[in-house]
Amino acid sequence: MSLLQLSGVTRRFGGLLAVDAVDLAVEPGGVTAVIGPNGAGKTTLFHMISGFQTPNDGRVLFDGTDITGLPPERIAAHGLIRTFQLVQLFRDLTAVENVKVGCHLQTQGGVLTALVRPRSARQSEAQVEATARELLDFVGLADCAGLAAGTLTYGHQRLLEIARALAARPKLLLLDEPAAGLNAQETELLAATIRRIVARGTTVLLIEHDMTLVMSIADKVMVLDFGKKIAEGTPRSVRDDPAVIAAYLGTAEAARA
Amino acid sequence: MPDFSYLPQIALSGIGVGCIYGLIGIGFCVIYNASGIVNFAQGAFVMLGGMLTHVAFQRLGLPLFVSAALAIVIVAALGVVVDRLVVRPLWDRNATMFVMILATLAVQIVIERLTLIGAGDQPKSLPMLTDLPPLKLGGIAVSFQFLWIVGLSLALIVLLDLFFKRTRTGKAMRACAINREAAALQGIPVSRMLALAFALSAALGAIAGVLITPTQYTAFNVGVPFAISGFIAAIVGGFGRPLGAFVGGIMLGLAQAVAIVAFGAGLKNVAALTVLLLFLFIRPQAFSGKPNRKGDQVWTHTRSIGARSPGRRCVRASNARRSRAKARPSRCTA
Amino acid sequence: MPTSRSIISPERLGALAGALPWIVALAILGYAFVAGGYLVTVMSFALIYAVFVIGLNLFMGYAGQVTFGHNAFAALGGYTSAVLTSTAYGWPPIGAFAAGMALALAVALVIGYPTLRLKGHYLAMATLAIGLIAYEIAVQWQAVTGGYMGISGIPPIGIGGFDILSDRGQLAFLAIVVALATWSAIRLRGSRFGRALAAIAGSEDAARALGIDVARYKLVAFLVSAAYASLAGTLFVHVVGFVSPEVFGLHMVVLAFTMLYVGGIGTAAGPFVGAVIVSLLPETFRALKDYQDLAYGAGLILLLIFAPKGLAALGELIPRRKVGSKAP
Repeated sequence: MSLLQLSGVTRRFGGLLAVDAVDLAVEPGGVTAVIGPNGAGKTTLFHMISGFQTPNDGRVLFDGTDITGLPPERIAAHGLIRTFQLVQLFRDLTAVENVKVGCHLQTQGGVLTALVRPRSARQSEAQVEATARELLDFVGLADCAGLAAGTLTYGHQRLLEIARALAARPKLLLLDEPAAGLNAQETELLAATIRRIVARGTTVLLIEHDMTLVMSIADKVMVLDFGKKIAEGTPRSVRDDPAVIAAYLGTAEAARA
Repeated sequence: MPDFSYLPQIALSGIGVGCIYGLIGIGFCVIYNASGIVNFAQGAFVMLGGMLTHVAFQRLGLPLFVSAALAIVIVAALGVVVDRLVVRPLWDRNATMFVMILATLAVQIVIERLTLIGAGDQPKSLPMLTDLPPLKLGGIAVSFQFLWIVGLSLALIVLLDLFFKRTRTGKAMRACAINREAAALQGIPVSRMLALAFALSAALGAIAGVLITPTQYTAFNVGVPFAISGFIAAIVGGFGRPLGAFVGGIMLGLAQAVAIVAFGAGLKNVAALTVLLLFLFIRPQAFSGKPNRKGDQVWTHTRSIGARSPGRRCVRASNARRSRAKARPSRCTA
Repeated sequence: MPTSRSIISPERLGALAGALPWIVALAILGYAFVAGGYLVTVMSFALIYAVFVIGLNLFMGYAGQVTFGHNAFAALGGYTSAVLTSTAYGWPPIGAFAAGMALALAVALVIGYPTLRLKGHYLAMATLAIGLIAYEIAVQWQAVTGGYMGISGIPPIGIGGFDILSDRGQLAFLAIVVALATWSAIRLRGSRFGRALAAIAGSEDAARALGIDVARYKLVAFLVSAAYASLAGTLFVHVVGFVSPEVFGLHMVVLAFTMLYVGGIGTAAGPFVGAVIVSLLPETFRALKDYQDLAYGAGLILLLIFAPKGLAALGELIPRRKVGSKAP
C-alpha cells in the first residue's frame, strides 16, 4: 500500500485550472520529487496534500486514511509534516525553541499541566529539550541553538525548518523548494541531510527546481505542467522525456502567457 | 408594544444619519485603501468639523458657509499632520498593526482632550443650513437639513468617483493602493499620495461633522461613536468600496431607526454594535459581491496561505500568483 | 558565547538592565508599605491593573493576538461581585468572585469562538465592539447595574469571614495576588502551552503544519486572559467599594495598553512594572486633572514610536552577540 495516494486531485481558482486530475503514488521510503515549470501547480498540490487548500475533486489518501479536506493540524497528527516555500520560522524564538515546538504532537498537556507541572510533565519537558538538541545537531546547527531564528542565515533557516519538522516524527516529510535561495555548497549540505533523513526511515516528497539536487537524491520524479502530470519515472527517464523538455524549453508555437 | 407608526419618520432620519455614517465610512476606506491602516482617529475629524465650524461661527462671527469651509480645510490639514507625525514614523519603524491601531486611538484621545481644554465640555450646536420649515411629503416631515445631507452626500460620491476614475491624481492614488512598490517605480510620489489620502479622509469626516451637527449637537466626545458607526458602515459595505460604505451607512441608519422604535433610544448604540458583530461573524464581504483582495483575509481558517498585513503585501507573493492566471479583475479601490 | 574577562561584561550588564525594572518597581512597592498614606491607594490601584495587564500580556504578548475589549470581562467580574455581595443577595466575596469568573468565562467562550476566527483590523474592531457593548449594557440595564450612578457600598475583600480592612492589609493581599498571577503567567509561558502560543504568534501556518490546533489554542488563551480580567474586576470593586460603567470603559482599555507597552509587551515583568510606573505618573500631574488623559494619549504615541519594546526590555538595548535586532 502506498504511503501517499492522490487520485484525480483537482483544484480550480475561478476560471483557472491550477491542478488537473493528478494521480500520484508515493511508496514508503526514498525520495519522490515533483518538478515542473513555474506556475505548474506544484505548490497548490502541496497545499492540497497538507490541508491548506481543499481539492475541488479527487481524493488524498495517506497511510490508508482519507485525509482529503482535513485541516492541516489533523493531517499533521497523522504523520504528514510539511515545510514552506518561504521559510516560516518563529523568528523571535530561538532555534532550539523552534524545534521544541515541533515536538508538540509528541507531547501532551495544556493549561493545567503547565501550572501544576507534575513529574510526568517535567520529564516530558526534559525529553523535548534533549530531542530538540539532538535534531539541531543532526542538521548541523548545534552552535546556533540559542540564537533567534530570524537572525540565522537563509541556508541555516532552511535547515532549522527541516529540523523542526523532523521533531514531529513524520512518516512523510513534504519539502517545498528546500533548495530555493541556497548556493551550491548549501545545496550539497541539504542533499546530504535529506539522504540522512531517508536513512532514518522518513519518506520524503519534495518540490524542487534545482535539477542537480533532484538528479542526485530523487528515486522517482513526477513532472507537472499547466497543472497536469506529463511524465513520471526515474530521474534519468524523465530528464530525457521529450514532453518534459518541451515543457521547460518551449516549442516554436507554445505561447507562454 | 412598540409604536411602529413612527417608523417612516424615524426611518427618514435614519437615512439622513446613514448618509453621514456613509461619508465617514468612505473616509475609512480611502485611508485603508491607500495605506492598509484603519485610522481610528477618524471620529475626531468628524467632531472637529462641527466644533471648528461652531467656533468660527460663534466666536469669530464668520458666515456659516465660510466657517464650514474653513473648518474643513483645517481638518484636512490636520489629517496630513497626523499622517506625518504619527502614522509615518510608525510605518517606517515597521510597527505592528496593533501598534498602529493603538496609536491612532491615542491620537483620537489627544484631539479629544485638546478640544475639551480649548472649548469646554458643554455641547454645542449649529444652526440649520437653510432656515425654513420642513416640507411635508405624504405625512412625513422632510427637513431641509435632510435634503442638504442627502444631496451633498450624493454629490460627493459622484465627485469622488470622477476623481478616482478620471483624474491623474485619483488614478495615482488607486495605483498606490493596489501595489505600492510598483506605483513608486512608476514615479508616483507615494508619500504625497498617502498624505493626500489622509487629507481627503479627514475632509470627508469634517464634512460629515458639519452636516450632522445642526440636527444633533457636538461635543468633545462625540468622535468615538461616529468612528464606530463609520467603521460599521465600511464593514457592511465590504471594506474597500466607497459606494458600498455609503450604502452600508444607510443600512446601518435604518437598522438603528428600527431598533429605536422597537427597543427605545437607549439601545441605539447596542443595535449598531450588534450589527457590526453580526456582519463580522457572518458575512464580512457583505454586500460587496466581489471578494476582498488577497492579503485582506478576514478569516484565519481559510486554508490558503495568506499574505501578511494588507498594507505590507509581499511583492513576491503577488508575483507568484501572477503566473498564468487571468489578469485580476480591477477593483474599485477608491 | 565569548568569554569576557572584565567584570562588566555585556552579558552581565544586560542581565542587570533586565532586572532593573523589577528592582525599581519592587522598591516602590516596599516603600509604599513603609510610608503608608496615599501611596498605598495608588499602588493598590496599580496592582489591580497589573492583574488585568498580565492577562492582556498573555493573549497579546505571548500569543500575538489583538483585543480591545477585555474590559468587558473585567466588568462582568466586577459587576457580578458587586451585585452578589450587596445586601440584597449577601453572598460572601469568594463566592461572588467565583460566580463572576464563571460568567466571564462563559461569555468569553460564546463570544470568543466566532470572534477569534477574525483577523487583523476585523478582530480589533470586533473586540472593541464587545467592550463597548458591555459598557452600554452597564449603562442601560439600570435595574441591575444602577446605570450611571453605579453601585456603592461594596464590602471589602474577605476570605471566609475574615475581612481585610486596613489599607496596608489590602495592599499586602493584592501583592500576593499579583505575585501568584505573575508566577502563573511565567509558568504558562515556559510550558508546552506557552510554546504553542508563541508559535501561533510567530506563524499560524507553520503552527498548524506542526499539529497545533490554532483556533483552539487562541480560544483557550482568550479564556485565560478573560479570567485574569475578571479577577481584576472583582478586586477593583472590593478595594474601591464602588463601581460604575466608567470604571470599565475605554479609559481602562487605553490605560492598560499604556501599562502594557511601558512595561514591555511579552515580557514577564512588563505588566507589573508598567502598572506601577503608569500609576505613579499622573500623581505628578495631579493638579492638571484635565491634562491627564492628554498626557496619556501623547505619551502613548511617543512611546509607541520610540520605545515600543518598553522598559522591561531594557536588557535588550545593550548590544550583545546578536546579528541583528528586530522591531516588534
